[in-house]
Amino acid sequence: MTDAITVWLVPPYGQGEPKEVEAKPAILVPLMVAGYSQCPPPHKKEEVKPDVDE
Amino acid sequence: MSTSRLQEVLICFGKQKQTDIATANAAVQMWQLRKLNAALANPKLNTENDADEFGKGHEFPTQSFQTSWDAGSTIEKYLSAEIAAWAMAFSFGKVVKSGSTPNFTYTCTPLFPAAGDAAELPYFSFVEQIRPGAGIVLDRMAVGCAIEGWTISIGSGPGRANSKINIEFVGSGKLTEPSGIVVPAATLEKLLPSASLALAINGVNYVSNKNIVSLETSWKNNIVMDAGFFPGSGFQTPGDATSGAIRGRLEFGKRQGTLRFTARFENGSTELTKLKSQTTGAAVITLTYDANNSLQITWEKVSFATAEVGETDGIVTVAVECLPMYDSTNGIISAVAKCGVDSICQ
Repeated sequence: MTDAITVWLVPPYGQGEPKEVEAKPAILVPLMVAGYSQCPPPHKKEEVKPDVDE
Repeated sequence: MSTSRLQEVLICFGKQKQTDIATANAAVQMWQLRKLNAALANPKLNTENDADEFGKGHEFPTQSFQTSWDAGSTIEKYLSAEIAAWAMAFSFGKVVKSGSTPNFTYTCTPLFPAAGDAAELPYFSFVEQIRPGAGIVLDRMAVGCAIEGWTISIGSGPGRANSKINIEFVGSGKLTEPSGIVVPAATLEKLLPSASLALAINGVNYVSNKNIVSLETSWKNNIVMDAGFFPGSGFQTPGDATSGAIRGRLEFGKRQGTLRFTARFENGSTELTKLKSQTTGAAVITLTYDANNSLQITWEKVSFATAEVGETDGIVTVAVECLPMYDSTNGIISAVAKCGVDSICQ
């Protein structure tokens, strides 16, 4: 079993949070027609670790 | 003097899109592919004169003015996975790339301004060279080109000519001479032959019933050429108002798609029935080289506009012209192009 290939899409007019979807035509085409565009994966938020000395 | 044969002509063009209409592709963004037709992308300088102006004392011209530039040509090729991916991506304008070497997948759909998409298509630069360098015959680059349309023709027979694509492109008029581009080595293409066709139209598998004879499908952007010349669109030589205007944008107009096919007509054939009942369904055209190189074009919803019974080589056939229609979920057309080349239209 292999991991599904995914892409990131941003909503129309760049408004809203990007979402990760499976790169299958049946999923991509309706979203593309609705105005979604490909975007780079968002940067993962760095994990904030508590200072152990505190 | 040595003559030049046209077979010497090298073409290369932007595999990747330009950042904007006026910024040419860099050499690393380009690829060289071969073509079948002799047409060159001759730039055309449009001029006007003062013949009709009053105050000269006669009706003859005394001055000529460089007013504007045109560019464009056609690329005729045997259909390959690489050119198919490029043509679909640049002609539709919206592309989602997925996968990795050797299987990049480009899912392409037309732009829809009503959904927030641009009305300008992606731009590329087009270079033509004959003996560049010291013995130069021709070396020029048309900058800011966009695909006007393409036609894919699939026929019956054993040769490569039974699977072809003809691409028409137009340019902003901006020209760089000499191009300054070192043409990269030719890209090895994976042909998509007629014999690999899979075809389902309106609920009928035309390959499994062995009835398909030929097929032609096309897309046309009807780019609004004159709208490219707007106040401030610029000149061939920046800042030189006498050098002729160039376009500052190439926007698609009323886009059109066509699908025509000829199939054997026999007992149980449904084309005439579906014409009368205006049955609708998808049309899916698939051509394959291997698992990593293919093209699948889907007309999301078609009905039959005409269906005429005739003959092909003495066999009774039906020639059908489809009417591609807009589907509220999937739009008008989509293409899934797979090939081993990265960064097409990126």
